[in-house]
Amino acid sequence: MSQKGNIFNVQRFTIHDGPGMRTELFLKGCPLRCLWCSNPESQNAFIEPGVYRKKCISHKKCGVCESACPEEGVLNFYRGKLVSIDRSRCTNCMECEKVCPSEAVKQWGKWMTVEECMQIIRKDKGYYDRSGGGVTVSGGEPLLQSDFVAELFEACHAEGIHTCCESTFCMDWKEIQKVLPHTDLLISDIKHMDSKIHKKYTGVPNTKILKNLKRLAKEGYEMVLRIPVIPQVNDDMDNIKATADFILEELGEKVRTLQLLSFMRLGVEKYESLGMPYGMEDIKVNRRSFQKHVGEIAEYFNSRGIHCVVGTKEKE
Amino acid sequence: MGFMMENEHDQVHCCAVGLEPYDQTYSLGYKVGHEDWSPYPRVNRLRKTFLDRPYNIDNERFRNVTEAYKENENCTAIIRCAKAFEKILMNATLEIYDDDLILGEIAAPAKASPQYPEFSVNWMLHEVLHEPFEEREHDQYYFVSEEDRQEFIDLCQYWKGKTVEDLANASLDDEMTKGSQTGKKIFQTNLYHYGGVGHFVMDYARILREGFDGMIAKAREGLSGIDKVDPDYAEKRDFYEAVIICHEAAKKYILRYAALAEEKAAAEQDPKRKEELLMMAENSRQVAGGPAKTFWQALQLFNYATTLTLIESNGHSVSYGRMDQWLYPYYEADMKNGTISKEFAQELLEVTYVKMNNPTKVRDGGTAKVRQGRGFGGECLTIGGVDREGNDVTNDLTMMLLDASVHTRMMCPWLLVRMHENTPYEVKVKTVECIRAGYGHPKIFNDEPTIKAMMRKGMSLEEARDYAVVGCVEPNLPGKEYGWHDGSYINTVKFMEMVLNGGRCLDCGPHCVRWEKCGALGEHLGPDTGSLETYQSFDEVLESVDKQFKYWADQMCGTMNIVDKAHRARKPLPYVSAFFEDTFTSGKDISAGGAKYNGIGPQASGLATCADTLAAIKQLVFEEKRYTGAELLQAVKDNWEGHEVLYALVNSPKVHHYGNDDDYADELFKFMFECYCRNLSGRPTPRGGSFTPGVYSVSANVGMGLNTNASLDGRKAGEAISDNMGPVHTDAGAHDIYGPTALANSVAKVDHSLATNGTLLNVKFPQEAVAGVEGRDNLVSFIDEYLSKKPMHIQFNIMSSATMRAAQKKPEDYKDMLVRVAGYSAYFVELGKALQKDLIQRTELHF
Repeated sequence: MSQKGNIFNVQRFTIHDGPGMRTELFLKGCPLRCLWCSNPESQNAFIEPGVYRKKCISHKKCGVCESACPEEGVLNFYRGKLVSIDRSRCTNCMECEKVCPSEAVKQWGKWMTVEECMQIIRKDKGYYDRSGGGVTVSGGEPLLQSDFVAELFEACHAEGIHTCCESTFCMDWKEIQKVLPHTDLLISDIKHMDSKIHKKYTGVPNTKILKNLKRLAKEGYEMVLRIPVIPQVNDDMDNIKATADFILEELGEKVRTLQLLSFMRLGVEKYESLGMPYGMEDIKVNRRSFQKHVGEIAEYFNSRGIHCVVGTKEKE
Repeated sequence: MGFMMENEHDQVHCCAVGLEPYDQTYSLGYKVGHEDWSPYPRVNRLRKTFLDRPYNIDNERFRNVTEAYKENENCTAIIRCAKAFEKILMNATLEIYDDDLILGEIAAPAKASPQYPEFSVNWMLHEVLHEPFEEREHDQYYFVSEEDRQEFIDLCQYWKGKTVEDLANASLDDEMTKGSQTGKKIFQTNLYHYGGVGHFVMDYARILREGFDGMIAKAREGLSGIDKVDPDYAEKRDFYEAVIICHEAAKKYILRYAALAEEKAAAEQDPKRKEELLMMAENSRQVAGGPAKTFWQALQLFNYATTLTLIESNGHSVSYGRMDQWLYPYYEADMKNGTISKEFAQELLEVTYVKMNNPTKVRDGGTAKVRQGRGFGGECLTIGGVDREGNDVTNDLTMMLLDASVHTRMMCPWLLVRMHENTPYEVKVKTVECIRAGYGHPKIFNDEPTIKAMMRKGMSLEEARDYAVVGCVEPNLPGKEYGWHDGSYINTVKFMEMVLNGGRCLDCGPHCVRWEKCGALGEHLGPDTGSLETYQSFDEVLESVDKQFKYWADQMCGTMNIVDKAHRARKPLPYVSAFFEDTFTSGKDISAGGAKYNGIGPQASGLATCADTLAAIKQLVFEEKRYTGAELLQAVKDNWEGHEVLYALVNSPKVHHYGNDDDYADELFKFMFECYCRNLSGRPTPRGGSFTPGVYSVSANVGMGLNTNASLDGRKAGEAISDNMGPVHTDAGAHDIYGPTALANSVAKVDHSLATNGTLLNVKFPQEAVAGVEGRDNLVSFIDEYLSKKPMHIQFNIMSSATMRAAQKKPEDYKDMLVRVAGYSAYFVELGKALQKDLIQRTELHF
């Protein structure tokens, strides 16, 4: 047991990523930069601070972060409150976060050993057992830390805990291979079938992802697939049809459920806290007609014989 | 590939069937504007009529009881009470409502509150003159006419000095009252100080089997068995005679109903209704003295026996016991001989459910502040569980009573499902289907720790297994236990002020009503057990907590004993005493200790606020040494003003908080819980029982918070203190942040059986978390796993804060929206603003 993982959130009792009640570990670092990413704090592989101005109790009443910061003028205040950090000069030493009393500065990422994770995971073992739940790793891209995940999953299996890995699969096969022996379920996205468009919105082509999915299916690994349905990006019927063709021809029975996740304006506050622009600012959605459209897409997949649901459930 | 889940948790199954399939889905969360939840149009009509009817004040009982007391001034108290009961029954105006199938009200029109001056008139007079019932912020009541208001005022005059309250007050000394509702509200004995006690379950099986004639025969037998050698001869004679007077009167009263039903039938044009009226008359004639012979008669006798109790006294939480058990023989027999269909049996249950909502009572304004809702309250109906041998008891009625609940969706009854390791899967699924329909019922009780708690009260294992729940969460032995549950509300956060500040309130100063006889003389409200300025170690803090708890428990229990004796002296309960079998052996009224078990059960609020307070002191002063005790003390004295850094810190996850499955804080909660239980358990009561501690606040945590200074958990003055077994949530945010499993694990770390008067945990789930088959199964699994950790109780609110906010804006559209408050459900739009806010704020848990 030597591996440590950089984890930005351990969420107990999730029901969205995998069956039953689960504990989900969100790992830091991602090779993709999806414009609609709702966890922007997952993207960088290093530990970094987030700033929540609303929680700042003001420089005048507190000001401990400025005293703690080893650099001059890295912390920016506006109307007496901490509003941002000059990221070009910040060394991510996290001194500001250590002293902040109010969570105005939040630390994204923490190195944890497998045993430290297991101590949290074990607390809800009874809930997993009764509900058919377990542990899910997500991110970011958990397989950027594949050695850690492999060791964590092995430890889970040693204690009879079901494991699920949610990955982009935009990884080399040798990294994927490390976790497979102790993975019970895979979750992945198909964001777009056209590689150029895929690159435009996620920063990477889809070739490696699709290749890995094909290989996983061929080698017999069961998976839950998801399409984050983004208006005007991947919700046109040409793309939907191409996705269905790919699933039927290349993955077949191994896809036990296809889940459609409707675009939601999530994570805006987190972008702000990280000083990052929000790439989906311009997308306007008529919620009602969009939901109807997503429902039609689900109907289409089902008509093609692919078990498809809207949302993160598998039944119904 | 892969790995197979082993299922060690195979579910047990049963073949009991209700009207609908066990896995019928109803709705997800509250749905606005529905008036057709029941498949029976009659039930939907009765429900609507109930909701549309106003809450009035009715003087009839007040008038009759006053006359009866005037006529019988020279009798002993128990005979006077019996004669008053008889007078009320002989003169009560009777009503038979359209569509109804079950007769009997509480000697007042449906939803109108009768008056019970025997207990107290001081508040009645004060409020009618100065704080009118109709002008309250919530829990308003209305006089039908100006004449009625004047009569109410006039009738009060006779009672001055003659009530239970007056007698109790005469015995109380300043040391006791300084902490009570008339002083600093550290504990509040309002309920039984100003009103009846209730909080019991009659032995319905015996009532249905033996009828009123059976009770009278027993009393006559008792009467013939007493001996003049016995120095208590006269008391016993009066007891038996009083029972006979009451039960003879009950019989006549029921026959009056029978005659009225016949009269109405004669005039009825609709042949179907005519037949119903004649059946009700026949049923009433049968049960006027005799036992119930059919399912319908069983429900009819149940309603008479229960409403008569509410005519005798306005004590609430008169609970229905294990209805699926005591009612089953009648259902089984009628089904077997084909005299009833399951459909009609179900309709009768639903009609009875709606009927249970009719009784209401005006509470004193002080009580109404802490315990909102105008129903009598506490009508807990227990189903499921094990029999005296430990076997599961599920039957058709278990399922049908759940169906009836989701079909009526009203405040009453407060349905409760007992669960144990062999509870059938079908019962769990139906329970969860009702829970996720979002109307606040049912609540769940856990047999193992509860049975253990019953045994701590001295009961045998067989008796303990037969428990039913009374009111919110108080375990009780039907027909055997007069437990004075809900005896007193305790604000433990006020105790904590004394711990921090040398026995003084944090805001000690000339503005205080007690200043002249306390602070001005250099006195303390409580004993000086140290202060944050003097403690040298954390152990000293804990010792100080223990000493304050003991001191205030002395004051409160002393007060309760005096109130208890005042009830015995002035308001014996001969009618209901007959339903406690042991009274016939002892010849004693239940108010005099005639029941087999005779506890008094007060209940604590704010334990988590205290636990997080201790965590802040331990961590910041004694471990990290970042602050001195004096600095912390100053911060709460200043209501956090000028201490913003510390305020933010104690509200942040950087300080340990209870409710996060974090042993550091959970151990401190455990300390508080055990300290409280230890300081109450085992103290003797005047009726020969012992005090039983409970940990639940109902909604009192909101009202108590209004009178409480800032606390070190990060609460500002006036904010709600923590509720029940729940974690802290201050205006700065909720302190439990790791979701329901973490909260459940924290709550289960204490030995719940120590709280022999019950514990309570509210959990609020967003609707989407329990949606679909997976959501239902997850909730079943969650409940199973939680209960396996041996906590006593759990209840859910499946309600979004968005819906509650919408209801605040348009109350008229949400008239029937029930929310789970704590142990009970209430109509959200009828609650006070502060309690509405508290409900919205309670952590909305996410999966």
